[in-house]
Amino acid sequence: MRPHPSREISPPGRRPLQLSQIGSHLFIITMLLLSLIPTYLLLTWSFKNGLQYRWERWTISLPLRWRNYGAAWEIIGDYMINTVIVAFVGLVGMLLLSLIGGYVFARMSFPFRETLYYAIIALLMVPWVLSFIPAYMVYVRLGLLNTRWALIIPELAGGPIFGIFLMRAFITGIPEELYESARCDGAGVLDLIGRITLPLALPGLATLAVLNFIGVWNSFLWPLVMIQDNEKQMIAVGLYKLARSATSAGFHGWTSQDFSVWGPLYAGYVIASLPLVALFVVLGKFYVEGLVDSGLKV
Amino acid sequence: MTERERVARQSNELQAQEEPIARHRSGGLPTTWQAMRKSWQAYALLMPIFILLIIFNYYPPILGLLRAFYRWRPGVEASFVGLQHFNVYFTSPETPRELLNMFKLLLFFLFTGSVVPFVMAELIFRIRSNDAKELYRLFLIIPMLVPLIVVILLWKQIYDPNLGLINGILEALKIEALSRNWLGDTASALYAIMFMGFPWVSGVGTLIYLGGLGQISVSIFDACEVDGCTGIRRTLQIDLPLVLGQVRLMTILAVIAGITSFQTILVLTDGGPGFATMVPGLTMFHKAFRTQQFGYAAAIGMLLFILTLAATLVVNRAVHPAVEETGR
Repeated sequence: MRPHPSREISPPGRRPLQLSQIGSHLFIITMLLLSLIPTYLLLTWSFKNGLQYRWERWTISLPLRWRNYGAAWEIIGDYMINTVIVAFVGLVGMLLLSLIGGYVFARMSFPFRETLYYAIIALLMVPWVLSFIPAYMVYVRLGLLNTRWALIIPELAGGPIFGIFLMRAFITGIPEELYESARCDGAGVLDLIGRITLPLALPGLATLAVLNFIGVWNSFLWPLVMIQDNEKQMIAVGLYKLARSATSAGFHGWTSQDFSVWGPLYAGYVIASLPLVALFVVLGKFYVEGLVDSGLKV
Repeated sequence: MTERERVARQSNELQAQEEPIARHRSGGLPTTWQAMRKSWQAYALLMPIFILLIIFNYYPPILGLLRAFYRWRPGVEASFVGLQHFNVYFTSPETPRELLNMFKLLLFFLFTGSVVPFVMAELIFRIRSNDAKELYRLFLIIPMLVPLIVVILLWKQIYDPNLGLINGILEALKIEALSRNWLGDTASALYAIMFMGFPWVSGVGTLIYLGGLGQISVSIFDACEVDGCTGIRRTLQIDLPLVLGQVRLMTILAVIAGITSFQTILVLTDGGPGFATMVPGLTMFHKAFRTQQFGYAAAIGMLLFILTLAATLVVNRAVHPAVEETGR
């Protein structure tokens, strides 16, 4: 997904803007505005107090109530930290395994190379519904229930499946001469991986890292069944439980509901989105590639 | 994406050249065993990956296929029950309803996941101004910076009977008669779940289609222009056939999501009211984690696996990507 080269179909002499072009612009803008409605609601609601939420729900209320964010952090901060820890520990291992696997399959020749490679790639075809229930049982059997390892291992073991696919293609593109000259200098396999491949494979690794971070940040069903202690819970499940407790508090009818819970709740949603926003701002191109790859990963 | 395919193709060519050399280097016709001993380093480097994969990625699905025929729960010895789970599932009174729900969702996902993004991508692609194109792409991405669970919870709020946006709009338009508890009403709950994410344009799909359209060579469009093939005719006869690879991918993704996904339903309605929005995947989840029937759940998982496999094969057969014949 690189920005396409300019492909103006019309010859250099510009034609007047056609009616159909204006129509397209209007249609696209309408669609984009409609799809931004939830994001708009999220942002405005996050700055409201109870009264504002009750009486001016659809407009921006001033002054912005930043205090909601402090209150939200109190509640969801631990979930955020948990998720970041899990994501990073898993990420380091996953990237290492993907780099090594990608190198071995791209640069070394050995018997059964293709067989082993396709044995790994075949796992991409196994839908998660088939493994979800038995994987839970395996993790229970290994005593991993309600531990952080239960969250890290899927990233560590499952991540390199797509990672090796991606890194093999990437590393094959590195010119052989670089490896030749390094070998002449007496470099071993680990040097070839660490000194030659790693620096050149960084863009591929960045895509992979972003892809996996998005995956961990969004992971919901697995931590929901794996983690019982709130102190170890991940952000997505944390938000879900928080929303449930907020809505069930108003179960007895909305008039008795305490509207002041909503502002901090939505502020929490915004805070939970910030790492993804930051990732996009810092690694824009890789973020988009990661998104697209997450589609390919099924 | 196609960039990557090209790299992969190059790599295959490289390997084709490398292989005979490698064989030659190891001297005449070595036995496989000798060659394997020689490349011990490669195996040693792959060892950690394969140990992890065997325990956590190969073993569970195989175990699942076996345990579909067992009574199974944590801490209890599994006992063989044959086809009992399948019998129970297919004779259960809720099953037709949830299969129908799944089918409806699947059809709708085909529309929202495959058709809508193509239309959006095509429109953006046809925009002449490159600045506008880039801006639209950026705005497509913004909604994707919000975690999925937040999106679902926001939509739950949008459907809320008292505080929700939809009833709010109906109130403002003075047609309150139409307002209802969208997710709590048997008649509307499933459609409310489908409608979530409206207008379904911002997602990976549009980006994937845009990528595919961007790979078509300019000369083709020039030729079209000369031949007077423009507008909707070009879309149908040129653009669509040349992104059939992407169409196939998005169709397969939509089909798999339609058959297997239940996270949204779990959060929005949990299958309710009653069984109005139940789907097989959610039944699997409930049976395993609420009533501890893991064997039964594994059997449903196996059925869903077979369904996705069959559907994927059908789509693969039905959609043949066209090959661009002119050189790039």
